[in-house]
Amino acid sequence: MSKQIKSLLQQAELYRSQGLLGEAKKKYKLVEELIAGSDKLPNKQKLLNGLSKKMEALNRDVETIEKAPTTPEMSAHVNELIKKLFSFSSKDKDASSSALEGAIALAKFGQFEGALEEFEKLLNVKSQRLSAAKNILRCYLEMGNIETATEKLEKWQKGDLLVSEQIEKLTVFYDDILEKKGLKKEPVVEEASAETASQEEKFEEEQEFLDISAVAITFDSGPYKGEQVELDVSFQSGNVISLIISSKDEALIENLKVGVRLDDVHFYSPVAIFRGAGLVSAMTQIKSGPKKGDYSLDIKIESL
Amino acid sequence: MAVFNLKKREIECKIVYYGPGRCGKTTNLEYIFKAYKKQVEGEMVSINTEGDRTLFFDFLPMELGKIKGCDVRVQLFTVPGQVQYSSTRKLVLRGVDGVVFVADSLEVRREKNMLSLKDLQQNLKDYGLNIFKIPMILQYNKRDLADEGMPIMPIEKMEKDLNRQLKVPSFPGSAVKGEGVGVTLQECLKRTLHSLQKQFNWAQK
Ligand SMILES: Nc1nc2c(ncn2[C@@H]2O[C@H](COP(=O)(O)OP(=O)(O)OP(=O)(O)O)[C@@H](O)[C@H]2O)c(=O)[nH]1
Ligand SMILES: [Mg+2]
Repeated sequence: MSKQIKSLLQQAELYRSQGLLGEAKKKYKLVEELIAGSDKLPNKQKLLNGLSKKMEALNRDVETIEKAPTTPEMSAHVNELIKKLFSFSSKDKDASSSALEGAIALAKFGQFEGALEEFEKLLNVKSQRLSAAKNILRCYLEMGNIETATEKLEKWQKGDLLVSEQIEKLTVFYDDILEKKGLKKEPVVEEASAETASQEEKFEEEQEFLDISAVAITFDSGPYKGEQVELDVSFQSGNVISLIISSKDEALIENLKVGVRLDDVHFYSPVAIFRGAGLVSAMTQIKSGPKKGDYSLDIKIESL
Repeated sequence: MAVFNLKKREIECKIVYYGPGRCGKTTNLEYIFKAYKKQVEGEMVSINTEGDRTLFFDFLPMELGKIKGCDVRVQLFTVPGQVQYSSTRKLVLRGVDGVVFVADSLEVRREKNMLSLKDLQQNLKDYGLNIFKIPMILQYNKRDLADEGMPIMPIEKMEKDLNRQLKVPSFPGSAVKGEGVGVTLQECLKRTLHSLQKQFNWAQK
């Protein structure tokens, strides 16, 4: 009997030292029952007293752990690291879509102040404006600051930072989360880009050429110089990908003339990002259908 | 997510250590940090909470040098194992190329191992990945505790619990002593690079 108790106590101590507090507790309880139920143990009361002290200490451990903050203040260095590690679009720090993902990661890790700072900056980047605005609203809501969120939205509704279509989207989005509010337990932050789920099966048959779902082009000249623009791929045939460019986006059309070489392109496949180069091989205006007036652009993948 | 720059011949891939709370994921990385100083590129970053539990992740960047004509870089991550951190766990898993599943050999953690493996399967699925296809290694950790008379599960039992369907390589280990840590990582790297080669044909012939 005392041998069995000793072994159980040993287990309890080890579990506790490894932070397996629930398991430790169970063993202590078991020992307690064994001692209490025994008539033969000479110093029964003393043993029980000692045991209850151990259990109290254990309970204190459990309490400290339960009370531990779930979103500690982190150093600027760690914040930078998180932004870098969790931005999947690109590792180039100045690229806006990468910055957006990094900021989202910060928000997901509960670093709302740091995230807000980033999102505010991204409001100045046209291609990220709507996502940044959505995430600003999210952040304030996650911080429990509905007032500021609503104020922000109202300001955008009145101002001219966002076009009317974007404001409509943003308003629907906001109403939607407010409606759901209270039901959610964990912070969920709007995803940056539609990263398509991988279709692994495809790779086995089509070793030939990868499915490219989107590209991010960094321009070294023209109106978009230094900026990274992300575009969805609408169609692919072998190493030629087709993208649709809105007729409104004149600057982009200007930048993507037939024959232009793109030396810094990220090609997104479902399971990896490739950095490579491409050549603008065709540009045609769409004559009919819902995309009438927009341009269909072909890029030939030159190297991956 | 693997990032390739085939022109410059560079690859960067991501390996995630997964497993139930307190199974020894962080201890694995700590050992690697100490034992593979040469390949480690910079510092290990750990974001912990009370009682040394991982709150967000551990991160350890490594530089393996040239493999088949490519400069290979690896980012090692651990997830927080505790159940309540499920959304962080999922975020850290994003873009994974290879997984080391660390199982706790302690008898009392049997069910937790299985639940964690199931959680991994679900999270991979949510990212469009298949647990049967992703490069993966199992490590049965804390084998040293047998010497202290602690009730641990025989390897065969753990194989049945966790590896009956997966059929991936598995290694016994003792992360505190550093046993089995290196071989686990090496095998995972080998499988990961092999799988990336099959998909993307990066190696020089
Ligand atoms: N005896 C023994 N103890 C170990 C071994 N590996 C880890 N431990 C101990 O187990 C406890 C938990 O180890 P960690 O590495 O922090 O576990 P983890 O998986 O990172 O835990 P979470 O971050 O909470 O998910 C610590 O007290 C370690 O010292 C081992 O191989 N043998
Ligand atoms: Mg840990």
